[in-house]
Amino acid sequence: MAKKISVGIADMKIARQEGELITYALGSCIGISFYDPMIKLGALLHIMLPEKNQADSNVFKFADSGIRETLRKLYAFGATKGRLVCKIAGGAKMFEMKGPGGLGNIGERNAQNVKRVLMMEGLRVVSEDTGANYARTMLLDVGTGQVFIRTSGKPERML
Amino acid sequence: MAIDRYEEMNEMKIDVLKEMGSIGGGNAATALSSMLSAKVNMTLPRAEILEFNEALERLGHPEDLIAAVFVEMSGEIQGIMLFIVPQEFSDEVLFRMLGKTRVELLEMEEIDSSVLTEIGNIVISSYVTALSSLANVEVELSVPQFTVNMLGGVMSLPLAMMGQHSDRIMMVTGEFRIDDKALNSGMLLLPDVESLNILMKKLGVD
Repeated sequence: MAKKISVGIADMKIARQEGELITYALGSCIGISFYDPMIKLGALLHIMLPEKNQADSNVFKFADSGIRETLRKLYAFGATKGRLVCKIAGGAKMFEMKGPGGLGNIGERNAQNVKRVLMMEGLRVVSEDTGANYARTMLLDVGTGQVFIRTSGKPERML
Repeated sequence: MAIDRYEEMNEMKIDVLKEMGSIGGGNAATALSSMLSAKVNMTLPRAEILEFNEALERLGHPEDLIAAVFVEMSGEIQGIMLFIVPQEFSDEVLFRMLGKTRVELLEMEEIDSSVLTEIGNIVISSYVTALSSLANVEVELSVPQFTVNMLGGVMSLPLAMMGQHSDRIMMVTGEFRIDDKALNSGMLLLPDVESLNILMKKLGVD
């Protein structure tokens, strides 16, 4: 059985050749998988908020700083921009909320900003499963590059 | 002294929050008890400052399927009240209220979710009423929202709210016992940082 590596909230893990990177129950958060098929290098990032607003904070908490730091590491490990395959999941609207700070549509804002930052970095989202009102678990198989999504009460599906 | 981040709370302020959790929880337990015609009490509340993943671990596994009632607080205290209902707690309530045995969370009918929403609404309102009269603050509550989802997904919004200013969050938690049975329910008070400052000031713990 492949080794499972769990990625927490505001966290990122990298694996090479084999293993499964998994992040559980993304609600308004977004999971972003990066995969370079040539060298079988994969990363899974779990961000919570769209934009970095604190100097001394965990970089993986935010879409912008999290994506940039993940890419910096992947390139250092030999990944090439042209080969990177990105997929995203999450960004659900779990509840309606008025304030404070536009949290009601935080899932949507997360998704938009993730896509915007990826585009600025010259990367394209190949497939996504975002929005709606339910949580998703996201898994990246580093041996094959396949990404799976599971939600409560539905069979696991490939993204 | 006002704080900017949850981790700046000192022992004394945390004790005050525990005490508030105890008073709010006691009031909520009384309300629940009269609705269910059963003995209901609440475990000693905890007030903890935790990293995001630690906070989730306290409550269970992120993929645990739960029902939850969500209420937004606004006014002088802003934040979220969350009532977490796992399968065993739902079973107990639906049996006592509707005489139903085992309705799977994912297969609930309208009437089942209405009952749980109303129970959640009443325990949350009684909890907050106790808090607001104790601290003499005005708190408005939103219409309760109900969901059946993975625990991690349900917690994502409160974590995002509290995570805007800090890498740690603060939560006051308590658990109801019905006829001395622990049923893993969770009553969560999740105020934003500014509201904590207001609360502490009003209570003279500054």
